[in-house]
Amino acid sequence: MTHLQIAGLHKRFGEHTALHGVDIDLPAGAFLVLLGPSGCGKTTTLRILAGLESPTRGTIRIGDRVVVDTAAGIEVPAAKRGLGMVFQSYALWPHMTVRGNIEWPLRVAGWTRADRARRIGEVLESLEIANLADRHPAQISGGQQQRVAIARTIAPRPGVLLFDEPLSNLDARLRVETRAEIVRMHRITGATSVYVTHDQTEALAMASHIAVMRDGRVEQFGTPTELLERPATAFVASFLGTPPAVLLGGDIVDGALVRDGVPLVPRAERGWRVMYRPQDLRLHDHGPLAFEVLESTPIASRHLVTGLVGEDRVSVVTDVPAVAGDRTGLALPPGPAGVFDAAGQLREAGK
Amino acid sequence: MTSTRSRASDTARRPIVWLAAGVIAVLAVLVAAPLAGLVARTLDSDADGVWADVFSSPLSANLLWQPLTNSLLMGLGTGIGATVLGAFLAWVVVLSDVPGRRVIGVLAAVPFALPSFAIALAWESVFRNDRLGGTPGLLSALGVAVPDVLSWGAVPTVLVLTAHYYSLSFVIVSAALWGVGGDLVAAAELTGASRLRVATRIVLPAIAPALLSGFLLAFAEGVSNFAVPALLGLPVRFQTLSTRLYGAIATGDAARGYALSIVLVVVAGMVLWAGNRATRGRSFETITGKASRPRRVVTGAWRWPLFCTASLLVAVTAIVPGIVLVVSTVLRRTNSFSGGFTWHYWLGESDSSIAQGMRGVLRDPVVLSALQNTVLLGLAVAVGAGLLGLLGAYVVRRIVRPPLVGATIGFLSYVPFLIPGVAFGAAFIALFGAQIGPLPSLYGTFAILVLAGVAASVPFAFQTSRAALGQVSGELEEAAVLTGASGPRRFGRITAPLVSRGVLGGGVLVFVTMVRDLSLVVLLVTPATPLLATMTYRFASEGFTQHANAITVVIATISVVATIFARRLSDARPTGSTS
Repeated sequence: MTHLQIAGLHKRFGEHTALHGVDIDLPAGAFLVLLGPSGCGKTTTLRILAGLESPTRGTIRIGDRVVVDTAAGIEVPAAKRGLGMVFQSYALWPHMTVRGNIEWPLRVAGWTRADRARRIGEVLESLEIANLADRHPAQISGGQQQRVAIARTIAPRPGVLLFDEPLSNLDARLRVETRAEIVRMHRITGATSVYVTHDQTEALAMASHIAVMRDGRVEQFGTPTELLERPATAFVASFLGTPPAVLLGGDIVDGALVRDGVPLVPRAERGWRVMYRPQDLRLHDHGPLAFEVLESTPIASRHLVTGLVGEDRVSVVTDVPAVAGDRTGLALPPGPAGVFDAAGQLREAGK
Repeated sequence: MTSTRSRASDTARRPIVWLAAGVIAVLAVLVAAPLAGLVARTLDSDADGVWADVFSSPLSANLLWQPLTNSLLMGLGTGIGATVLGAFLAWVVVLSDVPGRRVIGVLAAVPFALPSFAIALAWESVFRNDRLGGTPGLLSALGVAVPDVLSWGAVPTVLVLTAHYYSLSFVIVSAALWGVGGDLVAAAELTGASRLRVATRIVLPAIAPALLSGFLLAFAEGVSNFAVPALLGLPVRFQTLSTRLYGAIATGDAARGYALSIVLVVVAGMVLWAGNRATRGRSFETITGKASRPRRVVTGAWRWPLFCTASLLVAVTAIVPGIVLVVSTVLRRTNSFSGGFTWHYWLGESDSSIAQGMRGVLRDPVVLSALQNTVLLGLAVAVGAGLLGLLGAYVVRRIVRPPLVGATIGFLSYVPFLIPGVAFGAAFIALFGAQIGPLPSLYGTFAILVLAGVAASVPFAFQTSRAALGQVSGELEEAAVLTGASGPRRFGRITAPLVSRGVLGGGVLVFVTMVRDLSLVVLLVTPATPLLATMTYRFASEGFTQHANAITVVIATISVVATIFARRLSDARPTGSTS
């Protein structure tokens, strides 16, 4: 079991600063998802963790071992960190068969022939690709290639598994299947895992911990439930959840935040926004805020209705469908679920 | 219902069928007929016993075996040299952190844009010794004794061919290294393997097909190149198949020349065909999703030594020859600084005290007419080959049945690629050199040059057109079909505009290869139709170094300018595919 600690990680590419001090403390056996929009620094963090990039500043511990400490001049090369990585491009070695791809890391690690054969059999079986063993990567489908990549990575039993957007080249159905496969592999191997994605549904489905990143910083680190229920910033609130939380702004009237004549919170400043959970909002004709329906999607016997309130897109979960183009009203619960200031920081947690 | 549909489809098919027939007919005349003529001329009554002469007679050693051995040695040397050099530079440019690698990459592609005789002439200007009399090169003039081995024959020929053709390997291997991508290497490093192990077990095997195909291309070019052995080997009777067959035909021993041409076609064809076979379906690039940025190797202490080696290599092959040529044209005394500088060889009027009264190249009416002919030939061939290639590619794409039509066009468009220029020239003389029925002999006309040029350029034109057409998705044309537009109208209004950039870019490159070509035209040109390349060759053989070099500079300038133009066209190419 390998515990993982990243502290004060900075990375500069020329003029551009990709990471401004990333801190993450991950318990052994956890499944961490680094989540954020493109360019937020999540892949850079992962590659530094793997040893494929050098940080400008910071320390990284893997288990009891310090693998990076820029102050002490320590930087263990990728080859010596004992971790496995699954790449977005799969990175299968094209001139080797599936079996050859899985075997090579074991051979490099000095496993005996018998041990190698046994382990290859195990992982092929476990990922249900035994029938592909003698094919070359070019002869199998994308989904199969990704299974081979996973098999190759877990075969030497690394203490830490890294995944760089491994599902983004697969179609929707394969993505869901392979996602479950990765979670199962994590459960079986018990390897501490770090997984990079920009897809929040993927993150919520897989993670034991999520670090939401933005502009080279960790916005919030916690369990999926913590992030959903108590988002620390407006960005996290608007990024997570299907549908994400509703954020509404308004004007300041006598120190209160007011939207179209409806008071939202009694004390606020310019630029503040309030958060509501989609399931707490109601649509009916007498709702105080004008709501123009854009679309209505049935989900699990309820309906996800998206519409415009002024210029804000708002999604609400309702019991009855709505008709696109209808004008109706949005009714708010008695108090918001949270209040964020102009900088997006949480000022008041709601009920 | 059925009858209307079949009639409609018949009508729709008819124009394309006619077009297909036309394309096949033209290709048959340009490609199949000359080859058939070549074979026929070695078998008819005039050529009695020519094959026996060539293969098993007291002459065979001189006629065939020695030149063949030399050709194969040139091929092998060029193949190995070009692959090692090209692969090394590709590694430096794509995978290392050596400074200035971008500039090195641009320069490494330059030698191929120059005519191969440019580097040969530059070599002569520097290394020529006094063995044959005439004016020695710069080194001799400076008092350095240049050994024969460096001045003439196999060694300089291989070195110059390597300097010319390594660009091919460089381009192919660079593309493969980009295609391999950094993730592949990173995945191997993460296993804990040493750098050497990653290089030998992962990277090298992954680019092996590219290395092989680069090697075989350079090998085939080395076997069949004419200009370089002709300039550096012929003066000391170092013969290759190309120079041998040129000599035979030029001295009226046509039948033997034709037989040697066939041998050369078979040898070069086998090498290239083997190359295609060996690499088909074995391209390891881009198979695994999207390629990632290459992972640069930190070279540490090796950084500057690598930089020096790489930049020296590209400087010596891409920049120095140009400078040597340009400087040599303004030296009053050939290859010597002692006489001072002059523009005479460019602009001077006839002066009996210099170069036997030859005028400067820009004042010489023959050179100017050669310039005009060369540009006209380049344009005519580019248009002709471009049109033929485009129509051929269009037919191959549109016609599904019978499959034989597409296969025939594809095959005939590929064959000239296997035929060395000198041999192709010989084939054109064999066929069009004599009167055929009512058709007069074309020997000595501009037309035969254009026909041979078009035939030799068809493979490239066909491939670029096919690639360009491949970028236009079928849906675009289907959308046009639904509007009710006719076939020619669709081609003219939809397909042609979309592929025009690609086809035009290909046409410019055809123009360039034609302008700098010597091997194809050297047998076909007569004093009535002078071309720049053949004038260079003549001047160089007759010892008018400055004139030869000045014309080469003109050709190189045209080539490089046109190449840059073509590159800009292809960089800005719209994809035309729907996504």
